[in-house]
Amino acid sequence: MKENNSLLEALKKAILGLFSMLPMLFTIILLLGIFDTYITKEMLASLFISNNLIDTVIGTSLGAVLTGNPMISYILGGELTNAGVSLYAVTAFVLSWVTLGLIQLPAELEIFGLRFTFYRTLFTFIFTILISLLTVSTVNLILS
Amino acid sequence: MKKIEFKGTKFLFFVIIIHILIFLFDRQNSSLSLEKSYEVLLKLLPIFLMIIVITTLINYFLKPKSIMKHFGKDSGIKAWIYTVLGGIVSHGPMYVWYPMLTQLRQNGLKDGLLATFMYTRSIKIPFIPIMIDYFGVLFTVVLFIYIIIGGVLQGIIIEALSKK
Repeated sequence: MKENNSLLEALKKAILGLFSMLPMLFTIILLLGIFDTYITKEMLASLFISNNLIDTVIGTSLGAVLTGNPMISYILGGELTNAGVSLYAVTAFVLSWVTLGLIQLPAELEIFGLRFTFYRTLFTFIFTILISLLTVSTVNLILS
Repeated sequence: MKKIEFKGTKFLFFVIIIHILIFLFDRQNSSLSLEKSYEVLLKLLPIFLMIIVITTLINYFLKPKSIMKHFGKDSGIKAWIYTVLGGIVSHGPMYVWYPMLTQLRQNGLKDGLLATFMYTRSIKIPFIPIMIDYFGVLFTVVLFIYIIIGGVLQGIIIEALSKK
């Protein structure tokens, strides 16, 4: 009986968690509609220069500036890919959304100190670029 | 039942105002953008159900709290394994974990393990269906493998640098 209760508790917790995010999700979905209507593929393409490395750096930087639930980054990233943005840039964007965060940087600095925060941010930036390049290259290699 | 704390209501209100303005000045594109939003919503609905199921199963079977109990207490390879698992199962924004991480660091948690924990948080099990839906199974698996390898490598480098 106790086990059933805890499973029910886990289900309640999961439903509450998703429900609490509904306004944010509806916002992103509504914004995607506007985005899809007014932003053309040509406009998006002009943000990236079709150089895998530079596009990845742009994607990493963009993800580091933005923040929020990772699910939002998957939806945005997926829609950007559908709109023709390079998968290298989108992978970096999705990854840096969670791992890098300019907004939380002052708090991290305060709590963990300058040395740790500097090294972590620097290596997270480098590794995000490397992982994005490796992931897309590996997937392309396997599919070719 | 616990009261739900909705996140992003002000932002939603702001976007609704934008939509009203678009409707007033550009009626044709207004309905087009709403149609596109509706398409995205329809695509996401079944995935939301899967997210609820997976989150429930994680909370019930994996018990993030019991995994986090080991984080920062074991040593050697075990420490790295629990760090990676801890990063993967930890929910919520990073700042929620700051108090616990500060405490663990004061009790001797290595900087390398801390960095690995922070990096492997980018693997979010409940949102795997949404990633697979947009990017495919192969991409998701390859990305997660590289995140784990990259997270551990980053931890090893930061650990070496912190000893200097």
